[in-house]
Amino acid sequence: MNELRYILGGPQGGGLETLSELLSWAYAHAGYGVISDREYFSNIKGRHSYIHATVSATELPRHLTYPVDVVAAMDAETVFTHFDDLRDGGYIIYNSDDDNVSFTSIPSMERDLRERLTSEFKELGVDGTVKSVVKYLQSNRKVRAVGLSFKELLMEIEKREGIVPSQASRYISTILAGAVAAITGINEEDLDYSLKRRFVREDLYRHNRAMANIVIEAVKGQFGSELKLDKSSVKVPGVLVASGNDIIAMAKTVAGVRFQAYYPITPAADESFTLEEYEALSGEGSIVVFQTEDELAAINAAIGAALTGARSSVATSGPGFDLMVEGLGWAGQNEVPVVVTYYQRGGPSTGQPTRGGQSDLLSSVFASHGEYPRIVLASGDHEETFYDAIDAFNYAETYQVPVIHLVDKFLANTIATIPLPNLDGIRIVRGNLAPKGLSGYKRFDLSSVISPRAFLGDYVMWYSGDEHDEYGHIDEDPINRIRMFDKRMKKLDMIEKEIPEERRYSYFGSERPDIVMVGWGFVKGAALKAIEELNGEGIKASYYHIRMFIPFPRESITKIAREVGVDKLVAVEHNYQAQASRLVAMNTGITIGKSVVKYTGRPIYVHELVNAIKNIMRGSVREVMSYGA
Amino acid sequence: MARKLTINDYKTNVWVDWCPGCGNFGILSAMYQAFADLQLDPEKTVVVSGIGCSGKTSHFINVSGVHTLHGRSLPYAEGIKLANPDLTVVVNVGDGDLLGIGAAHFVALGRRNVDLVVIMHNNTVYGLTKGQASPTLARGLHPKALPKPNLQDAVNPIGLAIASGYTFIARGYAARVQHLKELIKKAIQHKGSAFIDVLQPCVTYDNIHTYDYYNKRVYDLQEEGWDPIVKSLEEFPQKAAQALIKSYEGDGRIPIGIFLVNPHVPTFEERYAQRLPNYLKVPPAKEPIEVDGKTVITMRRFKELFGKYIIEFKQ
Repeated sequence: MNELRYILGGPQGGGLETLSELLSWAYAHAGYGVISDREYFSNIKGRHSYIHATVSATELPRHLTYPVDVVAAMDAETVFTHFDDLRDGGYIIYNSDDDNVSFTSIPSMERDLRERLTSEFKELGVDGTVKSVVKYLQSNRKVRAVGLSFKELLMEIEKREGIVPSQASRYISTILAGAVAAITGINEEDLDYSLKRRFVREDLYRHNRAMANIVIEAVKGQFGSELKLDKSSVKVPGVLVASGNDIIAMAKTVAGVRFQAYYPITPAADESFTLEEYEALSGEGSIVVFQTEDELAAINAAIGAALTGARSSVATSGPGFDLMVEGLGWAGQNEVPVVVTYYQRGGPSTGQPTRGGQSDLLSSVFASHGEYPRIVLASGDHEETFYDAIDAFNYAETYQVPVIHLVDKFLANTIATIPLPNLDGIRIVRGNLAPKGLSGYKRFDLSSVISPRAFLGDYVMWYSGDEHDEYGHIDEDPINRIRMFDKRMKKLDMIEKEIPEERRYSYFGSERPDIVMVGWGFVKGAALKAIEELNGEGIKASYYHIRMFIPFPRESITKIAREVGVDKLVAVEHNYQAQASRLVAMNTGITIGKSVVKYTGRPIYVHELVNAIKNIMRGSVREVMSYGA
Repeated sequence: MARKLTINDYKTNVWVDWCPGCGNFGILSAMYQAFADLQLDPEKTVVVSGIGCSGKTSHFINVSGVHTLHGRSLPYAEGIKLANPDLTVVVNVGDGDLLGIGAAHFVALGRRNVDLVVIMHNNTVYGLTKGQASPTLARGLHPKALPKPNLQDAVNPIGLAIASGYTFIARGYAARVQHLKELIKKAIQHKGSAFIDVLQPCVTYDNIHTYDYYNKRVYDLQEEGWDPIVKSLEEFPQKAAQALIKSYEGDGRIPIGIFLVNPHVPTFEERYAQRLPNYLKVPPAKEPIEVDGKTVITMRRFKELFGKYIIEFKQ
């Protein structure tokens, strides 16, 4: 077995993250690649939350797919919600104390799901208790059921380790970690590594270690390690195991960010927390992480800081970005390098605040009154995002423009293994800076498109959101207006010339494809895996991955469309309108008439993408995917 | 030693385009004088302004000027000051800008006590959009630009500043330039968020709050023996309460001068410095982030910093 997929489910706030960490770290420590997506409600405690992971012995995976090999359930709701996600012959690990719990008695379950289950269970002939569902899985799907009485296990650990009963429920994560470890054959050393890492306090480690041992013993005796992964063939000297939020925070410290302003918003806020954790950079530096009263303050404080020369950014999501737009225009007008790290989530309005999406592309490209140059880049996976986050600041300072770095909730909350970054190749480019000792400094000197930038504190200078003269003073003269406007907008030509086409896109798969998926962002992981699977079925597929929207990879997409034919292009996106395909049309005149989209807030899974692409090849022009709880 | 700077050194050659007789002239004049008295280094001084008539102030002063967005001058000023605490930052902002569209920022700045000066041009109207009621115009008043009497109550700027936590709170009057100059100097010298509410007649749109109106009513708190200094933290609630009562005095007699000074609150910069040992020594704006184009975070340092995310394999 070289790939393992699992679902871990339970109530929000019930230790699911601990469980996921324990397993991810253990597999990573054993040399496997891991990607682990977290799906959760906008809720602190009680609603159904789950982790969906891929563990690979052959690669550092970026894809998620169904069915899974294991469903590990902390509660009955997980059994009902995910029983159908299991492959035939998979494993369900659950609390046998819940045997008689019926799906109709679960208050946290949404009515829609309960109604769907009612008819589904009727069809399957199950009575809707946990026991009946497990029995159905055993007899109809050859699923192996690992029923564990959590109550008995907790009593056992109370007894053995002298734990107060009220604290015992904290060990449920370790029960499931132990069970998954047993059937997937995680070795002692690797599990121990993650237990030690997670439970720093010695007594907690000891208790959890004991709990895991009890479970492993019980499960191994009965089931063996049937799902043991092959020895890993992934050859990297080291990995980072981190969420997208954390990776971007790390990248920002490397990029030299010295000021980050934010207002709490899901799924962006964790990045600022991580940055704050490292704010003193081992005592040598100072990153001011500034929690503001709203996003209006966040962007404008970040711009203020940028005027002093500090590399400066904000991290936000859709509703926050909407509030920032006026400030972004000021930065455009005043040629301020500021970076917006934009974590897309489901919109419009509050939309699906904890779910993912890619529906803010057009907004990030167009938002604002007036016209000014900006750069928009989008990252497809954890590794890309590390380098993109650094490039964002280099572009911002080189061209003295605001830069929007588009990521999304999927990336933000997904924990993945990526190769240790190579910092030797990273350049810090601060752009055209004014020398010291000038007299009569003009911030908006018209003698070059990129005026030499001085920082507040170096010279006397003025900035104004009004149209201004070379000094920054208000100037409404029509000729000055043209000169200043042209100077700003000419940056777009420079950007177009200087940022190479190859930087703006990546191409994967067949050079003579039967079908070309055109996508961006988190689509990448599923698309790359889909190419492999489609190839396996004799379909030559490829993926054209857009990494920059401004400047747009006009030439390459035009060339591909010409070579393979527009009718072989299909847009794959996490939004309703296939927004990137609209930008393709705007930039090239090429109309991609086919789309595969998903806007449920859940990521695109390989299996559904493969199906959708096959349907497109059979003549469908629009496929809407919907898999996932 | 550098030449002593005169008032003229603080003037730009930009034509001051306020209406003749505007109260803003008095504020600008007081600023020139205060800056000259303090010999502020023009390169190390930043005037941040908002939108409206008062927003133009930054263009008229020969120190760095950042003319920002309506309502957002405080966030700009905070970003500038926090990234480079060596700069002296003064904000000129209108009453609508500060207490209407930007009120959230006004409250938040008080909580932080960033070392800034906020000079509010309080003319009770939105001048540049032709005289609509501002948040400081009392209910029922009917300045000539309004089609109907004002329906909304006025906010109490001094009271709001007290409740928000400003540590230097004063009121000036645009026609008493010397008095205002002294307030501005004290506010600049104060460590922490300083707020000056400046009564500023709008000669074009507000025929109620005229020079004559204020001349008859204003009196100097300090001349009447008001001691604004909070002597100890314990004394603060009582002192603040008394200042609040003073702030409700109006119409008949309008107090100007310093209402409250609380030197016992750490500035925001000091709070950051508690967490960031090098913050004040090498502020964020001045710390090198590259050496010969390479990041200062070497691979070794990266591994030290982020070790908890890293797994290395034996080869």
